[in-house]
Amino acid sequence: MHAKPYWNPYKAGVVLGLALLAAFLVAGQGLGASAFPKRLIALWSHGVAPGWTEANSFFGSYVSGGANPLRDWLMVEVVAVMLAGFLAAVSAGRFKVTVEKGPNISVQGRLGYALVGGIVMGFAAALARGCTSGQALSGGALLATGSWAFMLMVFAGGYLGAHFVRRQWI
Amino acid sequence: MSAIFPLTFASDDLRLLTAVAIGGAFGFALERGGFGNARKLAAQFYLSDMTVFKVMFTAILVAMTGVYTLAGLGVVDLAGIWINPTFIWAQLVGGFLLGLGFILSGLCPGTSLVSAASGRLDAVVTVVGIFFGTWLFGATVDWFPGLAALYKAGSLGVSTLPDLLGIPAWVVVLLVVAMAGMAFVGAEKVERIFEQTRGVLALTPSTRPPVKFALTAVLVVFVLVGTAARRAPSPAAAHVATAIEPLSLATRLIERDPSLLVLDLRGDGAAKPIPGALLVAADTSALGVLAEAVPGRTTVVVYDSAGSLRALPGEWPAELEYRYLAGGRAGWEREVLTPATPRASTWQERERVQRQHHVAAFFSGAGVKASSAAPPPRVAGGGGAKKKKGGGC
Repeated sequence: MHAKPYWNPYKAGVVLGLALLAAFLVAGQGLGASAFPKRLIALWSHGVAPGWTEANSFFGSYVSGGANPLRDWLMVEVVAVMLAGFLAAVSAGRFKVTVEKGPNISVQGRLGYALVGGIVMGFAAALARGCTSGQALSGGALLATGSWAFMLMVFAGGYLGAHFVRRQWI
Repeated sequence: MSAIFPLTFASDDLRLLTAVAIGGAFGFALERGGFGNARKLAAQFYLSDMTVFKVMFTAILVAMTGVYTLAGLGVVDLAGIWINPTFIWAQLVGGFLLGLGFILSGLCPGTSLVSAASGRLDAVVTVVGIFFGTWLFGATVDWFPGLAALYKAGSLGVSTLPDLLGIPAWVVVLLVVAMAGMAFVGAEKVERIFEQTRGVLALTPSTRPPVKFALTAVLVVFVLVGTAARRAPSPAAAHVATAIEPLSLATRLIERDPSLLVLDLRGDGAAKPIPGALLVAADTSALGVLAEAVPGRTTVVVYDSAGSLRALPGEWPAELEYRYLAGGRAGWEREVLTPATPRASTWQERERVQRQHHVAAFFSGAGVKASSAAPPPRVAGGGGAKKKKGGGC
């Protein structure tokens, strides 16, 4: 059974752009993704070490004053993203429990790269106050200065790094 | 036209509910665009599949032209939209690191969630890594002064490219559209050159010209509207007058305050103008009057019938202070020309009523004296018509 083909990239871009525009107009903010791990960890950390979390300069503002870090527009949005992603994959015949990798790398090797890449991205998104969704896409569409600096450096880092991990993909 | 966006909600729950539909559209478009596949995303960095660039920049163009066009038309209040604050060094370093992580895992934080939701185990591992990396930053930022300093380095507050470059937003929007358009053409060419390395990624349908044309047409319309809107005189350039109460204006007129210039902008002769006021039309003809009368004046008080005129043309001299008469000519009638009814119970109230009576008497009877305070020849002076006598205490 063949999966449905992907959308034309420009069509996907228009739908995505309209969703982003709707977020600006309706909610008064852009889309995001890295808020999800940030707020969940703030919640867990607060459960384990409330004093430390409230004093922490990164997590503190999400839990101070008895605030519920999960009660946020972005949290609802990210859960919806995952549900819709699941539905889109299933309905396109693309849902499959597998590991995406190039032909010249082992499964363990690929998962190792994925873990390290994830750690680096989690750290980077925290430092930059946003990821490709919250900074590059949302801030980029609003012409925010820092978001454009971020976006250019993402592509710079990606193209530079691509040279060293070629074996993983090709 | 007053801005209707961003929307305000009766309750926070209602606002949160909108995230279901908007996030759903976002996630669905990501998956259908191919962002749930790490190989397809990684191919961006080997030039064989430019989907990441094409989807991302199309989305930016649509949202950017949309929001800036609507802001230009006054439908959207940009001040009501949260704009990412700039910490330039934190974002340059963070962006570079995120790019490295992107090519290592083949996914970014948002797409890793979509990919994990479509069953990809490499994405599940990436998500675990992102959680760990986020915790790592939070756990170490207070321990390493260098990291804490980098986190706050290069703060510019809320800064946008138009602010930074000092050029109008619509010019920046046009530039971005033009550059992206050229980059799209380049991306199509690059893909053809590196096609041999595409492999499984050939699932992407080739671009059909009608889609391109339709997209171009939509963007052109957006941009033309946005451009026209931006060229229209922006309300921000206008002088915003602050209110002056009729009684305090009356007092200053009685004292023959030489810094004061009163302009009657009603454009009709319905009720008699305030003594000393110049009759002018609210458009550019006021400019000449102002130029003539400005020496020595520092405060310009304008009034219309009801006090709704508060913004004055941006071409009017910037060095003057602009006030509008609260309530307009009607307010003058009510507060100054009509003696207050004696409902005063406190000492201060009684004093205020008494003062008002004096003012009313002055402008009702002795108006001619007041008009002599206004020098230019086109004065439409004269006393107020009201001769109503109010009862005393």
